[in-house]
Amino acid sequence: MTSIADAYTEPLATKLKRWLVPVIPFLLLLGIWASAVAIYDPPIGTLPGPDLVGRAPFANSEQYLSNIWASIQRLVAGFVVAATSGIVVGVAAGLNKRIAEFLGPLTTFMSALSGIAWIPLAVAWFGPGTGMVVFIVWNAAFFLIFSNTMLGVRLVPKVLENGMLTMGASRLQVILQVTIPGSMPYIMSGLRSGLGFGWRAVIAAELVGAASGLGYWIFEQRDFSRMDNIIAAALTIGVIGMVMDRWLLARLERRTIERWGLVGTDE
Amino acid sequence: MTVRPPPTTATGKDLGAVRAAQGETRAFLGLSGAGSVFRSLLPFAVVIVAWWIIWAVFRPPEIILVSPARVFQSLIETVVEGTLPAYINLSLARLGFGTLVAVGLGVPFGWLLGLDESVASSVEPMLRFFNAVSGIAWLPAMIIWFGFTETTVQAIIIYTMAFPVVFNAMIGVRTIPRRYRDACRTMGAGNFRIIRDVYMPGSFPSVMTGLRLGIGFGWRALIAGEFVVGTSIGGGLGFLIFDARTQGDIGRVMAGMILLGVLWLIVDRLILRPVEEYTNQRWGAVQ
Repeated sequence: MTSIADAYTEPLATKLKRWLVPVIPFLLLLGIWASAVAIYDPPIGTLPGPDLVGRAPFANSEQYLSNIWASIQRLVAGFVVAATSGIVVGVAAGLNKRIAEFLGPLTTFMSALSGIAWIPLAVAWFGPGTGMVVFIVWNAAFFLIFSNTMLGVRLVPKVLENGMLTMGASRLQVILQVTIPGSMPYIMSGLRSGLGFGWRAVIAAELVGAASGLGYWIFEQRDFSRMDNIIAAALTIGVIGMVMDRWLLARLERRTIERWGLVGTDE
Repeated sequence: MTVRPPPTTATGKDLGAVRAAQGETRAFLGLSGAGSVFRSLLPFAVVIVAWWIIWAVFRPPEIILVSPARVFQSLIETVVEGTLPAYINLSLARLGFGTLVAVGLGVPFGWLLGLDESVASSVEPMLRFFNAVSGIAWLPAMIIWFGFTETTVQAIIIYTMAFPVVFNAMIGVRTIPRRYRDACRTMGAGNFRIIRDVYMPGSFPSVMTGLRLGIGFGWRALIAGEFVVGTSIGGGLGFLIFDARTQGDIGRVMAGMILLGVLWLIVDRLILRPVEEYTNQRWGAVQ
């Protein structure tokens, strides 16, 4: 048990520690990188120093921002379609054993294939461009969202659903008020990993078949040996991925678990 | 994101329910009991028939969709030519080598990081960050550094696998209940004994989770790497489908995709999952 005094003094110290300690490894890496560049002085096209990479986004901010925007738009489009379809089909499969039996084996197979392996076929179907990238994002995220939703729905205790039914609720009411909220924690974790896979898929798909976006841009920059832009873009991909995951979805997930989570049966 | 500790967050009773549902899931996936094999093959038959009907009705151009028979024919062709066995060999060898390096270096490194709590908590964000920069994003940089070579593909695979492997090995050590260590210590065990008898076996289940995740990611990285670098390194399965697309041979693209799926299922179901399950039974659930 912490005393009141502890409760007041601790947060600041731990907060500081929480923010500062993780910075150390990054600083260490930055130091190694900077000193390696200083000592060996490699050509700029092979390994530019951290200062040049840090300046790269500002030097051509217009290109940089427009490519980020293109990638994010595609990710959001594909993800919205994947989330909607994944949840709807997942709930249906969770409730109906026949649908589950039909889709289960297909899903197992498809998720082994998902994302990148579809790129060549998607290029043939949609041609290079946004449509194809959106399809790949959908493909990479759908199966994860679907199978998590299905698992979540199956884990909602039957007692709760039956309870509602005996009290005269309609099937739709039960689904909307018990099944979906009850499986929310699982749905959220499916959405979270789906978004992560989707983001990787955007980059891979743009690399092969798009004329804009971060994935396209870093490959284009290779032709010009603009290593500063390449590294800056790669790190940006990581930052965007982290921000989406940690600050957006992890928070949402936590809130969902607090609000609807642990629908376990009674002791 | 996807590098996550094994689902130990669920409470005891919850875990039971999860296991039960997973058991059920496994049952209807046709993974237990020979009788259900038919049931899990049926959906594929339905899809193939539907595909055939769509193809027969619409007769789409060859570069959009071909019949299942054509795909099968392509598959046979690649086998007869000898490209397929050679490509499978190349791709699996790449994945195998990447796995060996990533595990051989990553697991001990993860253990080492896990030994100290403050070290572990300080490197965690960095591991997460570099895991979020997917290996594919480094492909252009790797090509500049190593050229269109085998090294580039290997570097991408190892990079992609390393983070889940290191992360989970570290988490595995961190989540071993402290009292096990303390118990050994009070009985006179030294640091070496504790590492060998507590930390290493105690983290095996988590290490396996990391390995399975890592190989899954590595597999995708391999395909992407072969798309881009394949021509100059003698091919591979990723190259097969990518190259077939360039030539407009959709039959071969689809044959390659089906093969990729089947191969992954074999690796995952017949090797990785059984090993993971065994690890869990033998060393897992330290609660």
